[in-house]
Amino acid sequence: MTETSVPPTGTSAELLLDAVSRSYGENLAVRSISAEVPASKISVIVGPSGCGKSTLLRIISGLDEPTSGRVEFEGVPVKGVPEGLAMVFQDYSRSLFPWMRVDKNVAFPIKHLPAKERAERVRFAMQEVGLSGKEKLYPWQMSGGMQQRVAIARALASHPKLLLMDEPYASVDAQTRADLEDLLMRIQAELGITVLVVTHDIDESVYLADRIIVLSAPPSVVTEVIEVDLPRPRDHIATKTDPRFVEIRGHVTRLLRSKEHAAPV
Amino acid sequence: MTIQQGSEVHVPLSAPESEAVEERAAVPAPPRRTLRTGFPWPVTVLLRLVAPAAIIGIWYLISQRERSGLFVKDPLTSFERFVEDFLSGDASRLFLGDATFDHLFPSVGRALAGLGIAIVVGVVIGVLLGISPVMTALFQPLVHLGRSLPSPALLGVFFFLFGTGDSPKIFLIAFSVVWPILLNTIDGVSSIGQTRAQAAQVFRIPGRDVLTHIVLPGAAPKIFAGIRTSLSFSLILMIISELQKSENGLGYLLIQSQRTFDYAGFWAVLIVLVILGVAFNTIFLAIERRALAWHRGATQQND
Ligand SMILES: Nc1ncnc2c1ncn2[C@@H]1O[C@H](COP(=O)(O)OP(=O)(O)O)[C@@H](O)[C@H]1O
Ligand SMILES: [Mg+2]
Repeated sequence: MTETSVPPTGTSAELLLDAVSRSYGENLAVRSISAEVPASKISVIVGPSGCGKSTLLRIISGLDEPTSGRVEFEGVPVKGVPEGLAMVFQDYSRSLFPWMRVDKNVAFPIKHLPAKERAERVRFAMQEVGLSGKEKLYPWQMSGGMQQRVAIARALASHPKLLLMDEPYASVDAQTRADLEDLLMRIQAELGITVLVVTHDIDESVYLADRIIVLSAPPSVVTEVIEVDLPRPRDHIATKTDPRFVEIRGHVTRLLRSKEHAAPV
Repeated sequence: MTIQQGSEVHVPLSAPESEAVEERAAVPAPPRRTLRTGFPWPVTVLLRLVAPAAIIGIWYLISQRERSGLFVKDPLTSFERFVEDFLSGDASRLFLGDATFDHLFPSVGRALAGLGIAIVVGVVIGVLLGISPVMTALFQPLVHLGRSLPSPALLGVFFFLFGTGDSPKIFLIAFSVVWPILLNTIDGVSSIGQTRAQAAQVFRIPGRDVLTHIVLPGAAPKIFAGIRTSLSFSLILMIISELQKSENGLGYLLIQSQRTFDYAGFWAVLIVLVILGVAFNTIFLAIERRALAWHRGATQQND
């Protein structure tokens, strides 16, 4: 089943997962995941809580190693954190550095660059996330939504080719979340970066994705890969009332339902 | 580990790109003096003077009693003696008395030297142990053993090891006060959190920057708390180390004045010690307030 779920090897695959598994001692968290993440698109991994989404992102970013299987980024096997990769964590308050002002947080990963270029990148990234003028605040002086924007700006400033996001909007309110979803799609379209978002929110996955990778309950495998052909730019009202959106959402919901209750083989 | 929230399907409201800037009160907190007690500052200052005034009053009453008055000199006499011994020089000596140069400065110098060594050693070893769980597990028993040794009892050992000059005293102070700093540094380093460590890794921050910009600032609140404890310890140990085999210092002066039945001199030294304790603490708080401005703000916001 895992084989059939991988579409024919595309030419523009930025990231390739090949039969990746990960166990913690006796506990098999990820059984076998094969998937391709196309370049310059938004791909979303959706699956129930505890199915190994964060584990998978850690493996992709080289923070963790798979028990078996292989990960390739731009055709090169991942060993350690690859260059050109940035990550936005779910828990913004724990991933930003509260002792640095916002501009320093954003500039920190590109500290090695000349001051002039660094300043320019910070300015651009802050503008992209709509936070111009907030550079001198501390993260803890900001709301959750603003802090997550800072985290996105920090990722953008490093000029990533691949942006990984682990449930980036799970801890912000619905309105802010809608804003940040649109923000992400706008930035992705502008900069053409490859984005891989992990979420357990079905609406969010369909709304954001060009491709949805649906995971089963643990020990997880890829249940299905869905190409989302909804037109862009997307809009919270127009897109979400599109019959096609409703149809895909229903389909993903059914997949997650059936798998969540199915006993692992 | 991140906290997972139960899956819920959210229904986003229509959002016409509202750059709704949800800024929390980013205004710096109003001056703390009025904030904390709710009184204007002259009242606060008066309130703070109540306890010292009461102590001086009781001191006076005891000194007036026939039996205890022999040993307990009254506050005024003691204070006059303090001024005479410690504050009665001419301009060329910055108006400081002989006792200041002969006893106060050597004492303070040894206390600060011991404290300085303790800070450096405590932070360096604490960071080494804190970043590695294996090292922590390996050395934790040793640390707890060292901490629970009654260090004043080891003074003899230090005399034996380092001779009779300043070094045994400095090392006794350093050895005694290093533990709170060491334990707090270990604690502080592990309090920085897995997510921040992962963020540093993903952004390929070089090890040196991780140390100076993440580990040390992240552990700083705990380190400062440790230093504060050690600060008062160091004054106590300073006195204890000067009670034997000493030629100068406030501890020496205490013993000496008692032996010669110079009770006014004895009480004058106690006044110096009180002033010293208050001064150390005030300077420390000023430094901490500057270094940890972010931390005060962050914890206030999270309350
Ligand atoms: N460091 C770890 N040690 C042991 N088990 C882990 C660890 N990290 C994750 N797991 C286990 O792996 C499974 C998947 O976890 P995770 O990747 O966090 O899931 P998700 O992000 O999809 O909610 C869980 O059952 C979890 O208990
Ligand atoms: Mg997760």
